[in-house]
Amino acid sequence: MSEPEPGTTDGTGPTAAVETNTAALDGTNSDLAVHLDGITKRFPGVVANDDVDLRVERGTVHALLGENGAGKTTLMNVLYGLYRPDEGRVVIDGEERTFDSPRDAIDAGIGMIHQHFMLVDPMTVAENIALGNEPTKWFGMAVDRDRIDREVRDLCDRYGFEVDPDATVENVSVGVQQRVEILKALFRGADVLILDEPTAVLTPQEVEGLYDVLEELTAQGKTIIFITHKLEEATHAADAITVLRDGESVGTVDPDRTDREALAERMVGREVILEADSDPVETGDTVLSTRDVTVEDDRGVEVVSGIDLDVRAGEILGIAGVDGNGQAELIEAITGLRLPDEGRINYAGDDITTWSRRRRIENGMAYIPEDRQERGLVMPFDLVENGVLGSQRSGRFASGGRIDWPGVRDHAEEIIETYDVRPPDANADARSFSGGNQQKFIVGREFERDPSLVVATHPTRGVDIGSTEFIHDRLLELRREGVAVLLVSSKLDEIRSLSDRLAVMYEGEFIDVTDPDAVTEEELGLRMAGQRPDGEADRHPNPGESR
Amino acid sequence: MRDRLESLAERLARSSVVDRLVISLAALVTAVLIGGVLVFVSGAFASCRTGLELGGATFCYNPMQVYYELFLGALGHPLEGGWTLTNYSLATTLQQTTLLIFTGLSVAVAFRAGLLNIGTQGQLVVGGLATAVTVVYAAAVVPTGFIGALVLIPLGVLAGALAGGVYGAIPGALKAYADANEVITTIMLNIIAVGITSTLLSWQFQDPNSPNPQTAPVPEYAEIPTIPGGFGGGMDFSLLALAFAVALMIGIAWLFARTSFGYELRTSGIQPGAAAYGGVNEKRMTVASMTLSGALGGIGGAFWVLMVHGRWLENVPSLGFDGIAVSVLAGNSPIGVGAAAFLFGIFDSGGNSIKTATDVPPELVGILTGFIILFVAMPEFFRLLGRRYITVDAARPARADGGDAGVDDGGDDDA
Repeated sequence: MSEPEPGTTDGTGPTAAVETNTAALDGTNSDLAVHLDGITKRFPGVVANDDVDLRVERGTVHALLGENGAGKTTLMNVLYGLYRPDEGRVVIDGEERTFDSPRDAIDAGIGMIHQHFMLVDPMTVAENIALGNEPTKWFGMAVDRDRIDREVRDLCDRYGFEVDPDATVENVSVGVQQRVEILKALFRGADVLILDEPTAVLTPQEVEGLYDVLEELTAQGKTIIFITHKLEEATHAADAITVLRDGESVGTVDPDRTDREALAERMVGREVILEADSDPVETGDTVLSTRDVTVEDDRGVEVVSGIDLDVRAGEILGIAGVDGNGQAELIEAITGLRLPDEGRINYAGDDITTWSRRRRIENGMAYIPEDRQERGLVMPFDLVENGVLGSQRSGRFASGGRIDWPGVRDHAEEIIETYDVRPPDANADARSFSGGNQQKFIVGREFERDPSLVVATHPTRGVDIGSTEFIHDRLLELRREGVAVLLVSSKLDEIRSLSDRLAVMYEGEFIDVTDPDAVTEEELGLRMAGQRPDGEADRHPNPGESR
Repeated sequence: MRDRLESLAERLARSSVVDRLVISLAALVTAVLIGGVLVFVSGAFASCRTGLELGGATFCYNPMQVYYELFLGALGHPLEGGWTLTNYSLATTLQQTTLLIFTGLSVAVAFRAGLLNIGTQGQLVVGGLATAVTVVYAAAVVPTGFIGALVLIPLGVLAGALAGGVYGAIPGALKAYADANEVITTIMLNIIAVGITSTLLSWQFQDPNSPNPQTAPVPEYAEIPTIPGGFGGGMDFSLLALAFAVALMIGIAWLFARTSFGYELRTSGIQPGAAAYGGVNEKRMTVASMTLSGALGGIGGAFWVLMVHGRWLENVPSLGFDGIAVSVLAGNSPIGVGAAAFLFGIFDSGGNSIKTATDVPPELVGILTGFIILFVAMPEFFRLLGRRYITVDAARPARADGGDAGVDDGGDDDA
């Protein structure tokens, strides 16, 4: 464990960030924990980083903000020794370094917390933290468990982490697992922590917890760089924000001296309308309705209890709620991936409760699934092959049992172009794309199915601002064309601005169905936590009746 | 030179069709080198009259000769005088190739659908008996001669395919509707196939003129004719059969690549969740792919009966089990099955050549061929070697956004 550098002050706060900008001019500021100087990294056909400068002052939280594919991860991989830059210098604590591997970077006090945790699930927290760096006793014959325990407890105390070192990793929440990853880096003596999209897997409460952790770490002299494409996070948690766009740095800003709109514009390169606008439109006939639908999960536990809902043509019904309150199972029952145990589902005038998934697709039901890597895309297939998933027997792409591959290719390339999938390579395997770009492709495929009903679960999850705006616009356009939309999202701002009516789901039931403009975010939050609307003994279980 | 080596290594590290071939070749060379040393050294422990004297020991076996016999012997020694294309050894090689294409395809089809069909052997046994019995009984009502062949051969193949298909559908249905692991059920059904067929044989179909457990022979005109005449010098091989096998192979490849069914089958095999999402009925797909797999095994049985013996024998060779190795070696690619089946054919025929031309014991030959299969079946090892000699950057697939390939950097759960 390395101690915080002597003389390091709590360099948090906006003033420190401003100083970074001015001090950066002379280039030899010894307070810089990390200085990436003119980094250029090329891949065949693309320049992922083009002469990027990054100056990170010690003891601060520095956000690296940019859209999917802006080059954030590449830059951090250079810092972490995974890539060697084609040009430029990596300066750590005023000393120029060359890293051949992450091992070298770790030795220089750099730790990286990947978005997907690299933990051994059946092992305890303490074992995971020490893994690879175990202190030994009896001349290296045995692992010194007592010492691991002691050191891990010391670390937790020091940074105020509430983590039980003896708990098994598979039994702790995702937020705790992330702390274990952070502790692992600290255990290895990291002074600079790189967090790759750290909030991506966290619940709102866990995100708050993470901010506290970051504060505590910087207070003790650690330096944090975190990668994000979310404006709120950058402005909320960071002392300085460096924005990347198309592989180039477009400046470092002080979060207190800028606003979200300006940041978004800097990031996307044009003006962005953050709030999608949903003017009320004429609604038509009821397209989808469920009556008393009850669904059990894989373990046979009833997770959806008697849901009634109606979605009309030209209307967006939003379902808000904390993940795991039955939304997933309800959606699976509607889309035909799971048979409801009770109740009926009607779609465009037909009772489709027992219809096959294929029949639902053929009848114009588009579905953006929650799990894009399990369901939405076949990871080893290229985008051409993925472009026909769900339509492999439809007359549009197949006749006589044969698939019209040239037609499918054109279709896939159209989606790639329209939905700005990057890199625009239809022949690349789905798994080689970043999550946001995978999502864009799925959204494109489903939207372009000419649907009468769109079931969209977390449609902009992991998608950058520019594309989120586009997806929202497209969703509203579909709605104007008379498509019924059932939207599930855990993004409150998204679901509030898009939905015409908003249902809050809690423990398998609708707590409330309301006009999204009539409730505040706080009220929504309370309802998501199970509190029924004030003074209303009778709730509105049926959104079909609430209008 | 170093640059060229590096670029070769880089190509090895990335995987495409050409690279797979290069990797297979590298594997073959490595296996031959290691096997050669093994043969040479074990020669020191054998006793012989003539051999290479070296440091007081006598090395009896000449590895060069062993591999010469293995590879060129299997083709009938094409570099020696008096070689004809229609020689016996080559016919042996191609006979095995033909039969193994069928069983290899059978395993590959199930494999691509995500199912491990160990039951090709049983499907072949059942299909073969169905073929023999059908042809023997149908021959009574069909004119003889050319017309008879034209009717009986397709009929026999169809009977084999049907019986094998049904026998494959059973574990498929058990898997789909009773959640029974297909590995267990197909292994069991292999044993049951042997039991059923021998019971049927002794009950009804035993050749009365023979003490051996076998059916009556099919009429000679109903055997698949040796074309061109005299090919193989008495070996039971027909180019017609090989052509059919190759056509079937291309057909399966086409099925995978071009058709909706093939697309759904592959999707089910790779990612069942995505297949369900895409509207594939998982249960039906399981039964369908196992039926197709079984039918291919049954066709293998039909050709074994109609091309090789002209009757069904109780003692069925392990063609179905070898099909598993063929398919694995081919990476479950239909076209690859052709190449792998040919390699196995060479081993079979070349092994005979080694036996007649050298003193090397057959066990050692088994080890040599085993080495080759082992090395060819682990391309990842050679890919790793390729990676070692080039920089990390070059080995990583290019990504425009520079993210870790294969790593999702989205998956957000936004608040």
